[in-house]
Amino acid sequence: MKLSQDLLRAEAARRIRVARPDLAEEVDLSTATALSEVHARIQEFADTDGLLAVSVVRRFELAEWARATCEFAIGLAPERLAAWRGSFSRTIFLAGNPDNLGDRVRFDHIAEDGSAAWTGPAPAGASAGLRRLLKLFDGSRGLPPRPDTPVRIPKAIGPRHRPPVRRELYVATAGITVADCLVHLNHLLVEAVLDGLIAPGDTLVIRQMPRLAGLSGPYAALRVGAEREHPERLRAYACLSEETVGAAR
Amino acid sequence: MTGTVEPIPLLRGDRGAPRPPYAPAPLPGGADAPAAPRHGRPRVLLAPVTVTPGKPLTPSHLKGLFWVDVMYRATAQLADVTYRYSPTTYHPTDQTLGFWEYLDHTLGDTDYSQLSEEEIGELYVGYRADGRQTPVSALRPYLDAIEHHGWVHPSSARVLELWSAQYARLGMHDPGLTEHQPPGMTLDEVLDRLVPLGLCLDMREYGGPVYLDATRYGLPLRQIATAQGRPNYLACALRELVPLVPGYDEVVLLYDRELEPDYQLLQRVLAELGPVVRRVPVGRVPIDGQIRSARHGDWRGHSAGALLEALGADHGGPALRLGMRLYFIATLGPGDRQSFRPDLLRQCVVRAERMLGSYETPADAAAAEAGLTGFLERQRGDHAYVDPYRLTSGLLAKHRPAPVHELLPAVFL
Repeated sequence: MKLSQDLLRAEAARRIRVARPDLAEEVDLSTATALSEVHARIQEFADTDGLLAVSVVRRFELAEWARATCEFAIGLAPERLAAWRGSFSRTIFLAGNPDNLGDRVRFDHIAEDGSAAWTGPAPAGASAGLRRLLKLFDGSRGLPPRPDTPVRIPKAIGPRHRPPVRRELYVATAGITVADCLVHLNHLLVEAVLDGLIAPGDTLVIRQMPRLAGLSGPYAALRVGAEREHPERLRAYACLSEETVGAAR
Repeated sequence: MTGTVEPIPLLRGDRGAPRPPYAPAPLPGGADAPAAPRHGRPRVLLAPVTVTPGKPLTPSHLKGLFWVDVMYRATAQLADVTYRYSPTTYHPTDQTLGFWEYLDHTLGDTDYSQLSEEEIGELYVGYRADGRQTPVSALRPYLDAIEHHGWVHPSSARVLELWSAQYARLGMHDPGLTEHQPPGMTLDEVLDRLVPLGLCLDMREYGGPVYLDATRYGLPLRQIATAQGRPNYLACALRELVPLVPGYDEVVLLYDRELEPDYQLLQRVLAELGPVVRRVPVGRVPIDGQIRSARHGDWRGHSAGALLEALGADHGGPALRLGMRLYFIATLGPGDRQSFRPDLLRQCVVRAERMLGSYETPADAAAAEAGLTGFLERQRGDHAYVDPYRLTSGLLAKHRPAPVHELLPAVFL
């Protein structure tokens, strides 16, 4: 199962059907452009009537951030997490220092090293004050190179319904900025937590590569979006592999 | 001048820049600090917003400058005061650097030494109207020359020279307009100091800007440098003030009301470094009901040079000096509601002439000086600085006569 435009379209359509079955009935999901339009509509809904989370980012280091994102999602009540999916797990990333905001904001999760913190998901009004205080995270540089990095999700942070597994987390880097990476990985990781693909005790091995084309599937989860330069084309931005051998070490 | 004012401590130059021979040696520990206080007198730093030297001084500028000058000279009777005003510090902003690059780009090698500040101001209007986005790479040679060689573009050097002469005519203390007064820190040194205190957020590593962060006080993040490290005026102010303020008991920031949010931020950040920090906003002077800016040539007909010429023909220097202070401080007050009125300015100069003609030198100079100190003490409320508005208005009050014979030469002439 190799990545192709057909496969990417099918995955993008599946995500819409799962998140918003009501909407999927009435819209065209057959082309990349149509899919992008539906995507934009769902995001708009999140900002007005849906739920959005806010992530305050002080420092960004991919492995630490991925772990903290999973911890945040695992810590949310399952029904809250499920409701958030209806808004496509919409998240706003703001530049800010969580240490300075403790008196004003009750964060749902703060990364262990204080590099980031999360609130929500909640109606947009709940985070209006925070969004006025901070600025959108501006990360226009590319991702720094890194060797394959294992990220262990702590065991003690939530209930386990299965033995721990090990998966590869592939991240596309060609033409990708730090800000893009935050958005794409955030969606992939929180939805994977909701689907039970990531759980306490699991290990994710982060692997950066220019493009994900050529990877042999199957994929447990795939993050698909329009290409910036070619909106009529879809691209795989990140994916989570099936469990790899030796998973439960 | 007062004769009791401490010399302005000149800052250590940037790495490698020559230190002027008259600058005091840096204090141990590398911090730029004022001389040790004299027998318990508070150490006060006056740090007004500066005017970028690419245009004539306007009534708004004159108001701010008189405000600072009176505050400086009056406070110096009671405290060890540093009046820090360094054009050098703010040359790296786009407003100045971009103008210089524009001049060289459009006019080429030009002799500016005979131009008036109005003529240079017209070139500035042309620069702002042009709206060309100067690439960062084109600014780099200018930045390098400022930072490493104390270089000033001849257009601004000319404006500063003309301003310096006007300061002298107006009896204002010249805080070193034409001197090289580099800030004590680089931007990275400022960040090394402020990031660990949680007061700055440096996102350059990710391609984002640098922010000043006083969100703990409910103030929004404020960008101070771009991802490429290009600073705005706030970043320049921090390069100057972060190393300076720990050496003072009180820091007074004077600024246009329009800069209020930025100065609230600056106050919070500097106060974290030790001193009490006061904000003194001074409203600008509308012309015909409108506050305009230099980019639209707001000085035309009202420049300091034009005012001096108009009034200087009929009145002597002392009357001009006192009268202008009466008008720009007492008549206009701290707000920005009253439009500029040349007729009222002239009335103030006439009134000053009368005041100067009627006061006499007292027989007992020592008693007079003690009277002045006591009088000024009563002007300052709970802060170390003397409020120029209160002081100047008090000069006009009939029921509580000020010790004018001492006060006028020390502070107003």
